Amino acid sequence: MTEETRDQKDAMTPATLALEAASGRPQAPARRQGRVRWDLVLLIAPLLILVVAIFDVPLLNTLYWSTVDDAGNPTTEHFREFAESSAYMRIIWRTLVIALEVTAITAVAGYALAYWITKLGRRLRMVMLGLVVTTFWVSILVRTYAWIVILGNAGLVNRTLMDLGLISKPVQFLYNELGILIGMVNVLLPFLVLPLYAAMVRLDERLLQVAETLGASRLRIFWQVFFPLTVPTLAASCILIFILSLGFYITPAVLGGGKVPLVANMMDLLINRFARWEIAAVVSVVLMAVTLSLYAIYQWIRERSA
Amino acid sequence: MRKSLGNLSWVCAVAMTAWSSQAVAQNAKELHIMDSGGEYADSLDKCVNAPLLKSDGIKVIQETPGGYAKMAAQAKSGVITNTVTDGPTGDMYRQAAEGLLEPIDWAKLNPEPMFEEAKNPNGFGASYYSTIMAWRSDAKPPQNFVDFFDTEKFPGKRALPDYPEFVLAFAAMGDGMTPEEVSKGLDLDRAFKTLERVKNDVIWWQSGAQPAQLLKDNEVQYAIAWSGRVLGQEGVSSTYNQGMLDISWWTVAKGITDDQRDMLYKWLRLQTNAEVQKCLLDFLPYPGPSPELEKIVTPEVLKTFPTSAENKKVQWLMPGQWWYDNAKEVEKRWNDFKLLQ
Repeated sequence: MTEETRDQKDAMTPATLALEAASGRPQAPARRQGRVRWDLVLLIAPLLILVVAIFDVPLLNTLYWSTVDDAGNPTTEHFREFAESSAYMRIIWRTLVIALEVTAITAVAGYALAYWITKLGRRLRMVMLGLVVTTFWVSILVRTYAWIVILGNAGLVNRTLMDLGLISKPVQFLYNELGILIGMVNVLLPFLVLPLYAAMVRLDERLLQVAETLGASRLRIFWQVFFPLTVPTLAASCILIFILSLGFYITPAVLGGGKVPLVANMMDLLINRFARWEIAAVVSVVLMAVTLSLYAIYQWIRERSA
Repeated sequence: MRKSLGNLSWVCAVAMTAWSSQAVAQNAKELHIMDSGGEYADSLDKCVNAPLLKSDGIKVIQETPGGYAKMAAQAKSGVITNTVTDGPTGDMYRQAAEGLLEPIDWAKLNPEPMFEEAKNPNGFGASYYSTIMAWRSDAKPPQNFVDFFDTEKFPGKRALPDYPEFVLAFAAMGDGMTPEEVSKGLDLDRAFKTLERVKNDVIWWQSGAQPAQLLKDNEVQYAIAWSGRVLGQEGVSSTYNQGMLDISWWTVAKGITDDQRDMLYKWLRLQTNAEVQKCLLDFLPYPGPSPELEKIVTPEVLKTFPTSAENKKVQWLMPGQWWYDNAKEVEKRWNDFKLLQ
């Protein structure tokens, strides 16, 4: 009887990630030549050890599990089992597609929102940014359940629409793919809006003025000057969102009604229910390989276009 | 600046040492258990854990959820922290067959009177529960599981357990198997045939409290749920008819220390007390295994027991052995069905 709702497994990666994306390309710190700053090394060491011990070593361990049998001998058996069942690859594929959909929706909605905020007066701007940031403070679990209150059959939206006579029976927002998309976009939106907003306000306005003086239409200024200048940040944020979406657990579990399994939910099934750690390890390794390849392609395109 | 940093690290080091030695001291009297959590965990805290802390100074630490996979993982790691888990009959057979369990020394445990069937060599029968059908009181009431899975005559969505052992037998009955047949073992083909037929109208639940909530929110009109979670819920009707009766077991991890066992047996013995079982009933209506219990509760409460004579005769017992024998096959087919839908 699995009773308790899950931990916040897909709890947010710290907001710092978003801020990092905001600063665009990291600048190399000015550094005195030829001297190792041992005091700095010492200061960083605990963090480094923590990352290696808590993150990197277990990751290698996962790789190890996927390649040995119970007795510890090397085997390809688990990978073969993975390849023989169509279920695993299909779920990874489905997860990638949903992650892509989430990224696209977030990009369009988030870009518009960020752009709109830059056009507001100073006070209103603070209010809007405040509203975006507040979502970071509310637990993802609470936010996910809140959608049930809003979008459920007896929820606010459906009841209002029915009272207004616009629909005769409730619209099925939840317990399907749509529910998952709504929930995930909601969680991920700040990761795009904050960096984009930062990039937009930092943009050199004189460039736009020059374009205007030269007689460009507003639409042309936007597409030919403004938008291209924000593309690097947009792309970086999109990659971040895409990668974060791959690991979502609660949102699909709660808002998907158990009908749209994604990778994290499959992992839960394999580890917590069936105790099949080897297969779960194979799935992790494959997912990691796919993600890293995608990231490599992205970097390659970026460097070529730069 | 550097000096103050150094001082700070000293303070931290001292604090850490103090904290860890304190943790060690506490360990001596801590009993770690795993269970399904929620209201069940609350009931254990109030009715069992608190009295035990008072009488014997044993502090019980709960971890949720427990179950077969957690026990297997713990055995694999070789560090036995959690002494016991709860789970259904099938789980107990599976753990026993894989050598994860320590048999219960009933002579040493020395329980107060309890039903014989709850004294398994591999498990301590903690409570009786049932898996039954429930529906919104304003929906057309189904009589049996053929009705329940008939989405044409009984339109609406269904909330079904996301656990094969709690849904497949009913699905097989939806295809016409009788309770007598499924209590011996089920035809998986017929079970999955039913699920394939209705899957577009299903919301799968994982947490026991979900089905009642989904019914109340009108997200679903029909549900299969654990008895304690739907009985007495406003606007929700249910019947024990064709329900699946089972015992929830405490199973003990192999490799626990003598100290852990002593504490654990004290904890289990306390649960054989009828008054303690009555106290647990205030949280969830799952009766314990004491024959005295029926005598000290009111007739209204007795009527809700899955084990009351009237309710027991319309139900059937979960075939734990069958679930164990077919675990691999069930896992594969369930996986394919759930992951490929």
